[in-house]
Amino acid sequence: MSDEKELVKSEKDMVEKSRPIPTVTPVVDIYENDDEILLHADMPGVEKDKITVNVDNGTLTITGVREIETKGVATWEEFGNVEYKRNFSVPQTIDVSKVDAELKDGVLRLHLPKSEAAKPRQIEIKTG
Amino acid sequence: MWSKLSDIDRMFNAMNLLQSRMDNIFGDYSTSRPIPAAWIAAESMPKTNLSDLGDHFEVVAEVPGFAKESLNIKIQGNYLEISGTYEKDAPEGYAVHRVERGTTSFNRSFTLPSDVDPEKVEAALKNGLLELTLPKAEAAKPKQITVK
Repeated sequence: MSDEKELVKSEKDMVEKSRPIPTVTPVVDIYENDDEILLHADMPGVEKDKITVNVDNGTLTITGVREIETKGVATWEEFGNVEYKRNFSVPQTIDVSKVDAELKDGVLRLHLPKSEAAKPRQIEIKTG
Repeated sequence: MWSKLSDIDRMFNAMNLLQSRMDNIFGDYSTSRPIPAAWIAAESMPKTNLSDLGDHFEVVAEVPGFAKESLNIKIQGNYLEISGTYEKDAPEGYAVHRVERGTTSFNRSFTLPSDVDPEKVEAALKNGLLELTLPKAEAAKPKQITVK
């Protein structure tokens, strides 16, 4: 009997309080040249301090949480709070200490420079 | 009256929960495969929220990558049109691995629930969200009627 009571209660809590934030995959553009890899990700509404960029053992993880305060009565609602999350495999040759990130107009721009050893080198042919 | 309001609130919460569950299901579905180009074209309209705050409406639209100069807002009576165009920020001299961010121009129009005062409309752009504050026209504002 007591179990039944608890079940009803937890269901109520779930609906009224802890609404899970859906996790979505941000859309990205990836570019590469001899010096670096560029990654542009759309994250509209995410504050700068809510974004994490993590490079660990060849995996780049970007996450961002969007919290929108809702006011008044919603006539329609097509988006809400979300967590953007995406993993990428990056080559080991990325110089992690020089990774640079900027956020502008809801777009996260990551610069992933390649380490010196990984850059292609032009070999000069000497004439004897 | 109070209990009725909280009932409605609970109903909406339940609906939102269901919606997020559905989003989760379809989200998993769409991440398991590359997004076809036609899908991106179909999704080129920004998502919006509209809320009614009594004396004004608030419209929030997702416009990542758009600078404030590249957005246009038109209002006439209860008709609202948002449009924008921007040049793709693809860097030169780079090999392209992946291009998923497709939207470089959009045009979306709405019919608002009532007329707004176009003179007092305010727009702000913050972190890729366009926030419009649209005060209702005098005739459409809620009025307090005192019982004699």
